[in-house]
Amino acid sequence: MYAEDPAFWRAGAISSTLVMLIVLAFLTVDSIATIRPGGANVPEYTVINKEIRYEFDSESSRYRPVIGADQPLFGRVYSPEQAEKAMRLGKLVIQSRNCMNCHTFFGNGAYYAPDLTKAWLDPAWQQMWMPMTQAATREEAIATFLMYPEKFPTWSRQMPNLKITREEAEALVAYLKWMSAVETNGFPIHFGHIQTNK
Amino acid sequence: MTAAQMLGTSLLLALFVLLAGCYGVLYCLARLRVSRLIGRAAGTAYVLQGLSATLLAFSPLDFWWKALLLASFVAYLPIPPLTWRLLENLHEPEEQHS
Amino acid sequence: MFRSQQLALKYFAAAMTLFGIMIVAGLLASTNYVQDGFLMNKLDFSVTKMLHIDTMIIWLLMGFIGAVYWFVPIELERETVGIRLAEVMFWIFCAAVAVVAAVFIFVQYGPATEMSLWFINQGRKYVEAPRWAAIGITLVVLVFIYNVVGTAIKARRITGIMGVLMVDLIPLFGLYLIAFPSMTNMSEDQYWWWWLVHLWVEATWEILIGCIMALALMQLLGTSRRIVETWLYIEVALVLGTGILGLGHHYFWIGTPSYWLGIGGFFSALEPLPLLGMVVHAVYDAGAHRMKTTNKPAFFWVMAEAFGNFIGGGVFGFMMTLPQINLFTHGTQWTVSHGHFAFWGAYACGVLAVIYLALQKSRAAQQLDGAAWKWSFALLNIGILGMVGALLVSGIAQAFYERAMGGSTLQAFMEGQTNVWFVQGIVMRLVFGFVFAAGYVVLIYDLLTIGKKRTATEALQARVAGGPA
Repeated sequence: MYAEDPAFWRAGAISSTLVMLIVLAFLTVDSIATIRPGGANVPEYTVINKEIRYEFDSESSRYRPVIGADQPLFGRVYSPEQAEKAMRLGKLVIQSRNCMNCHTFFGNGAYYAPDLTKAWLDPAWQQMWMPMTQAATREEAIATFLMYPEKFPTWSRQMPNLKITREEAEALVAYLKWMSAVETNGFPIHFGHIQTNK
Repeated sequence: MTAAQMLGTSLLLALFVLLAGCYGVLYCLARLRVSRLIGRAAGTAYVLQGLSATLLAFSPLDFWWKALLLASFVAYLPIPPLTWRLLENLHEPEEQHS
Repeated sequence: MFRSQQLALKYFAAAMTLFGIMIVAGLLASTNYVQDGFLMNKLDFSVTKMLHIDTMIIWLLMGFIGAVYWFVPIELERETVGIRLAEVMFWIFCAAVAVVAAVFIFVQYGPATEMSLWFINQGRKYVEAPRWAAIGITLVVLVFIYNVVGTAIKARRITGIMGVLMVDLIPLFGLYLIAFPSMTNMSEDQYWWWWLVHLWVEATWEILIGCIMALALMQLLGTSRRIVETWLYIEVALVLGTGILGLGHHYFWIGTPSYWLGIGGFFSALEPLPLLGMVVHAVYDAGAHRMKTTNKPAFFWVMAEAFGNFIGGGVFGFMMTLPQINLFTHGTQWTVSHGHFAFWGAYACGVLAVIYLALQKSRAAQQLDGAAWKWSFALLNIGILGMVGALLVSGIAQAFYERAMGGSTLQAFMEGQTNVWFVQGIVMRLVFGFVFAAGYVVLIYDLLTIGKKRTATEALQARVAGGPA
């Protein structure tokens, strides 16, 4: 019987692995094209100059980011080069401050602090932090909080002060704004919308 | 999907695989001990797995996931006997040697 | 004993030390959930959590490397080629781990520059080690590959297991190179990062531990080569056949196309099937040998591996893997519960089994048994079961209140984290964490002492043979 011959299974192992790797290679080419900035699912970095919302789309029956009218960040319009530079710095802040070992991005990381995928859209910035920091805009409130988290605690579990500079804080806010515009197949579910019986 | 549906569905999914495991282990024990009783227990576990699959058919999962669950429910049935036979056939020549 | 095997024992000692550090770091991190502000600004959650998962990766990796150094000379019947270099690399590896740990604890973070990534912390989960240390790990793995391949060439002999092992070393090295770049685009970053994390943990490592268990079973139960090799090929076919595209279950929510929902869900729904086959195999072996073995602890850890893998990986994974459910459970304590159980079942138990095997040979003990290993086996397994059970309760509460009822925002997150079910679960996790730690202490005592005292019959036999009594 074939099943007792190691060579039969060796051939099976090699062929199934190769087939799967080839399929993965094709899917990867397609996925990378979809997730590059400006691809179908990931916006250009200059999306930070626009208003971003997260709304239920009945056609795909899930929540999707919606890009709206112009909405400058920190009172300025970023050129493509400036936006790219801010994103680079923002990402370096995320890595160097080890954000991912308390927070999650796209749900990946640690689970001790809130997910930051759509954090830009969190109503808490307007409801809690803008009054607390006496900032006029959402981005100012976020930047101030990031620089001095110990001064604006929201509950007993606090964020430590990670010595984030003003420039780093602005880049990080820009990064969070861009990330909130990524199409994530509906994750996190009904963000910012309390569930009623739908 | 509501909160209660999410919870119910996920627990049924866990039960589904867990019962498959019970079926597998009981099947092996029945073969080892040559016991009718344990054999019947294995059958019961598999029937219960079918029951969990039936309940999942009423969950808010999409049609294709339900079809996949049904297919894998069928696929679980022959795994313990086939694996067992393969293991016996593999071991047989050596046991004759010793 | 070959020098390669003495090196293996050193690797095992280092692995067990890191296992202990992992437990301490885990206890510190989980205390943060119970007591707010614990060690705030001294040893924040991010630091202890990072130490917890990084030491976990490194101790398992050291366990695998040690296991291979242990078995290669037996398998190829000669000393490992380049053993002196391997010994040097071991000390470099240990020194690098110590320096990285010290930097994590005392420096913690730096400014947003490439220099921070080179010398302090890369801030990418599991591969936080700064780049200089990542280069060190790459070199260790390269020397390891040279040892294995070089020995096979010198021995002019490639067994089936060695063949699989050598092919598997290519992705073990190649995928680790993903630990280096820092991509601006988070979607692309996580796309490749999952190649490293998933294809290491759910493919490359599975094959590696499969080879190690195959070698171990030949020694432990005297199973024939033809059987273990057939079984290894079946495992490779099934694990890679379902596992490579099982990668898709990490591509649901990171910006990747929605076809991954179908692919990921489909292949991860298949993943429990081979695990059931392994359970059947374990029960068959247990029955065929009627639990008679000269190395009870190794035998029980092998059994724990088969069952832990099925329940931790199969049951706990399947519960949350379909995209419709995962939308609620992803990134909650539910994931943590699955992660703890799966790593324990799939890898930790296997490494412990191999260590017991090696100790039996190195101490020339005919029989390895006693009371201590039973205590540590029970305490560690009760500890892990308690922890994953408690985390499951917390995770369910979090998915329910934060995601399904709330709106996944900060407010919803806080409501989930302060929910009474969540809090009780997270307290019980810490309690069982201490049970686990107690099991570790007994384990270390047992590993240091087991098989050293000879039984009366063994002493007699030794005297008859003319050896020292």
